[in-house]
Amino acid sequence: MLILTRRPGESLYLGDHIKLKILSVQGKQIKIGLDVPDDMTVYREEVYLKIKEQNRQALESSQQDLLAAAALWQSLEPKK
Amino acid sequence: MTRLGEREISPDTIIYFPRGLVGLEDKREYVLLPVKEEKSPFLLLQCVTDPGLGLLVADPYAFLDDYDVKLENPERKTLKITNVRQVAVLVTVTIPQNRPENTTLNLQGPIVINTEERLGLQVPQTDGEYPTHFRPIVS
Repeated sequence: MLILTRRPGESLYLGDHIKLKILSVQGKQIKIGLDVPDDMTVYREEVYLKIKEQNRQALESSQQDLLAAAALWQSLEPKK
Repeated sequence: MTRLGEREISPDTIIYFPRGLVGLEDKREYVLLPVKEEKSPFLLLQCVTDPGLGLLVADPYAFLDDYDVKLENPERKTLKITNVRQVAVLVTVTIPQNRPENTTLNLQGPIVINTEERLGLQVPQTDGEYPTHFRPIVS
């Protein structure tokens, strides 16, 4: 991993289109500003990993459990 | 061919995901298939190019009245949204093996679809307002 030291107000360029700026440091929290192209996704790591895992789980449900869950829902019908 | 067996898919029902899904970025074309014949909030988001790739999704509004999905401008642009009526929201569903009564809706990574343009995008919600797991079936 490349390691660089920056001060608040200083920036980094990742290629031509991505700018990463250290805005402020307060105790353990670092505020970062990102200028990225519109079509580029930026995720917090924990959110990214969680959703990736949930997508995987949504792929894995068996046909049998799928129909059972659908049937359960039907027998309950929501309140509205 | 899909996870639900052989299905006829009409090309104009294909939804294009310009960025794929989280963790599945190279899979871009999907169709929505009903899980059952009868009306059900559960659907299968089936990848057109990979028969083994079908995610179970649900209409969150069948279970929740107040679920707001936050869309930023770049996301609106990607989805070419000009009107709120074009927007449909789905969430992925987790069914623990052999415990369908513990089914959960994953509210943090909704899949937003522009039904007119047939464009889709998974939009992680970062404000932490919603639980990642919501149990719709309380037994």
